[in-house]
Amino acid sequence: MSKIIATKAIRGAHKIVERAEKELAKAKEAKGKDFAVSFPDTNYYLPLAYAMLGIKAARIGDLIEIMDYAKSLLPPLPSENLWLPYLGPTLDAGMATLFAEEVIEVLKYALDSSPTHDYWVGFTTDAILREQGIKLVDGRMPGFAAIVGAAPTNQEAVRIVRELQERSILVFLSAASNGKCIAEQLAEENVQMGWETFLVPHGRDITATVYALNFASRAAMTFGGIAPKSLKEARDILVYNKNRVHAFVLALGEVDDEKHANAAGAINFGFPALADTDIDQILPAGICKYEHVVSPVSLEKIVEKAIEVRGLKINVEKPDIPVSYGSAFEGERIRREQTTLEIGGKFSKAFEFLRMKNLEEVQNGRIEIVGPELAEFADGQAAPFAMVIDVAGRKMQKDFESVLERRIHTFLSEALGIMHTGQRNMVWTRVSKDARKSGLKFRHFGVILYSRYLHDFPSIVDKVQVTIYTKEEDVLRLIPEALKAFSERDTRIADMTDESVDVFYSCKLCQSYAPNHVCIISPERLGLCGAYSWLDGKAASEINPLGGNEPVLKGPCIDTEKGEWQGINDYLYNKSNKAFSRIGMYSIIDAPSTSCGCFECIVGFIPEANGVMIVNRGFSEMTPCGMKFSTLAGMVGGGQQVPGFIGVGRLYITSPKFISADGGFKRIVWMTKELKDTFGEQLKKRAQEIGEPDFIGTIADETQVTTAEELVAFLQKVSHPALSMPALM
Amino acid sequence: MGKIIAITGKGGTGKTTVSALIIRTLLENKSGAILAVDADPNSNLAEVLALKVEDTISSICEEMLREKDRLPAGMTKDRYLEYRIQESMVEKNSLSLFAMGRPEGPGCYCYVNNLLKGMIKDITDNYDFTVIDNEAGMEHLSRKTMRKIDILFVVSDFSIVGIRTASRIYKLACAMEIKLGKSFLIVNKSKDNHPALEKEVQDAGLALAGILPFDTGVEKFSLEGKSIFDLPKESGIVKSMNVILDKTVYNVRG
Repeated sequence: MSKIIATKAIRGAHKIVERAEKELAKAKEAKGKDFAVSFPDTNYYLPLAYAMLGIKAARIGDLIEIMDYAKSLLPPLPSENLWLPYLGPTLDAGMATLFAEEVIEVLKYALDSSPTHDYWVGFTTDAILREQGIKLVDGRMPGFAAIVGAAPTNQEAVRIVRELQERSILVFLSAASNGKCIAEQLAEENVQMGWETFLVPHGRDITATVYALNFASRAAMTFGGIAPKSLKEARDILVYNKNRVHAFVLALGEVDDEKHANAAGAINFGFPALADTDIDQILPAGICKYEHVVSPVSLEKIVEKAIEVRGLKINVEKPDIPVSYGSAFEGERIRREQTTLEIGGKFSKAFEFLRMKNLEEVQNGRIEIVGPELAEFADGQAAPFAMVIDVAGRKMQKDFESVLERRIHTFLSEALGIMHTGQRNMVWTRVSKDARKSGLKFRHFGVILYSRYLHDFPSIVDKVQVTIYTKEEDVLRLIPEALKAFSERDTRIADMTDESVDVFYSCKLCQSYAPNHVCIISPERLGLCGAYSWLDGKAASEINPLGGNEPVLKGPCIDTEKGEWQGINDYLYNKSNKAFSRIGMYSIIDAPSTSCGCFECIVGFIPEANGVMIVNRGFSEMTPCGMKFSTLAGMVGGGQQVPGFIGVGRLYITSPKFISADGGFKRIVWMTKELKDTFGEQLKKRAQEIGEPDFIGTIADETQVTTAEELVAFLQKVSHPALSMPALM
Repeated sequence: MGKIIAITGKGGTGKTTVSALIIRTLLENKSGAILAVDADPNSNLAEVLALKVEDTISSICEEMLREKDRLPAGMTKDRYLEYRIQESMVEKNSLSLFAMGRPEGPGCYCYVNNLLKGMIKDITDNYDFTVIDNEAGMEHLSRKTMRKIDILFVVSDFSIVGIRTASRIYKLACAMEIKLGKSFLIVNKSKDNHPALEKEVQDAGLALAGILPFDTGVEKFSLEGKSIFDLPKESGIVKSMNVILDKTVYNVRG
């Protein structure tokens, strides 16, 4: 390595450390040694200093300790007669720089000139770290790029970040060159920045670069489970980053001493730096996997080169379309004034339909537009639209159709300039004026779907063809076939049984007020709030794997009757704070499910009647068990198992699994008139299914009885089947 | 990520007029795409902005929960809800608006609110400014469907009691589990300066963003069912709002 680059980095380190010293001294004089300092919403103090030194800095006095360490690392400037400075002192200078920068940045928060303003985000909170950082370490995000400085023109700035976005690479932006930060260039071009677009502007000060590295340090502590203590742990954290976090630095524009010092800091983490200007290089190898500093790289090639140098694995291939593509564009809303074409919604007839075909019926990659192409529609017009996707594969099954069809939304939304909402024949798509200008056609909708289905479902999809009809008569002609298929699918889903799946879904949304409560949602038992079906749980867990809904493997069956599985029990034990070790999904007596308090209805055992009553929320009168809904709710809710009582969603009442371990539907002896009225059709249907068409007439309501005694008399009069069933308790 | 501006205040303080005026000023200053959120079921921000709302978020959610047995089984509720909400948005040039509707009824809204949280965030992320007209209790904000407020304006009328109430509302806002940036007081319908009032403002614990003069035009316009855009450019209230936004929105850190 050359003396020039080492000298620059060490000189930069000296400048930044001096600046930190000055600012710290000033802060100490103004506020005193005990003045509290902290970054917002973090448990990691100054994360970099904590990770490397184990210092739990919370006061100005602690910052002095950090600075003392930084100074001890700082090597002297290479003298004229030292010809070959080692890499070691340069790396030390880099670490000293980062410690000093973190001190400068935390003082900004402490002294009320918060770096978080306008679009600048400053420090990354722990909550965002957990949400985003996991993607970095589990490979969903291939890596991150820290861009320091600015591109020569705004257009080039936009192009570079788009290239990174398309590859789902997270981009941190900081520092300026020629008085400008790339984030400012992007803001001028109205590029949307923020965590959701993977473009994170940390600050225009060079010291804001440290946020990228204190993010990386926390990723190692959070996801790598490394607790800082001594030098060994510090080294583990750096090695974890080298191996797991695929990051690199892009230095755009003039690379001054301070930027050299920051690059030296990043090399400690195994993050190489690339520059578009001519600076001295540090080629293979040692700390980084490949080269450490590479320059000059032309702007057109810099992203490709960075990916190569850092060894990133990019697994999303961009479909061959004229607009940018990537998950960063998924939440894009195209406003009416930006819209060139409306498809569906209130504007035109439209539907989308994916169907399974035999292998010989599908010509792989064939995309056909029947009717006018996008360009033939005038600006501001609405297009009729029928999109039919034929899928074939040796392992393809009819049941996968709806799963695959649901993906159309994500696949199309990820194109910049396409906004897609809804599904089936309830679908609305907007195409932006900019996308039209870039040359987007309907054909490209087909290209996107074709390439994504083959790429995302290689094990089940072998062939895909897409046909798009854009004449109203065709759309109207084809709708009936699609509607028929949709209704068949709905019936199949409605008829799904718990036995037919290996996975149930959990819901922990209500743990904020019932910390021990976990809902287990199965095809035949929906969430007790009545809102969450098994399919909703599945969709939610796919969208946000770290959210309130998780897939739960059933595991070996313990009791078919009661609905007890090993996998469910284990999960419940872990997620209920070890409060419950068993759940009988279909029983009201033995380990019944807990309730948060959100239930639509309460089912309660009435011993005198040998059956159960059902009261819905909103019924304020007395029930035959001697308690009103409000009293019952207090008893059943809060996340406890109360044998004899469960909270349920209304639709569960007509499920074949409704307290099936305890006699099922025929145990119902009383329910509110409101339930009978609003839910009558389904109740009747269920009664017919069990071969007791007149059963509903034997269920009492509040207009007939109000006490348990009256209830028993009523049941005897109508010969309710529960009276002759085995005793429930 | 755009800026979120929330406006609150006791009923009758002219909060909705202030909200609409902020939106008009942002539009006239070409501040990018603006999203207006009507979160006060007792007022009508849309009308003041000359827009017409058909569905509110609450009515869509309630319809979905009520009709859940009839929704297609193969279409998940998140997809359905997103579609309906996007469809309910009213758009005019760079201004879009949606209405929250009345607060939730009995029953469980955990699921719906969880869905809304994500969708509303996705929508607001697309706008440079989101301006929310809230009722005093800020029910919709406390549902946590919004994650943060960058700037909170508490509107008071020109009275001691009004300013005390504003100060109380501000304290309630601070107690909410929401990230709150800067907060300011706007005194509306002022007739002239009054020392007693000045002292009250100082004690309110809220920085004063500015004072809007009493404007007979506003009353007249609302009586005639005209919109905020019909107020003449040179009227005092329009000019004062320009000054307020210069001081607070365009030139504020944090």
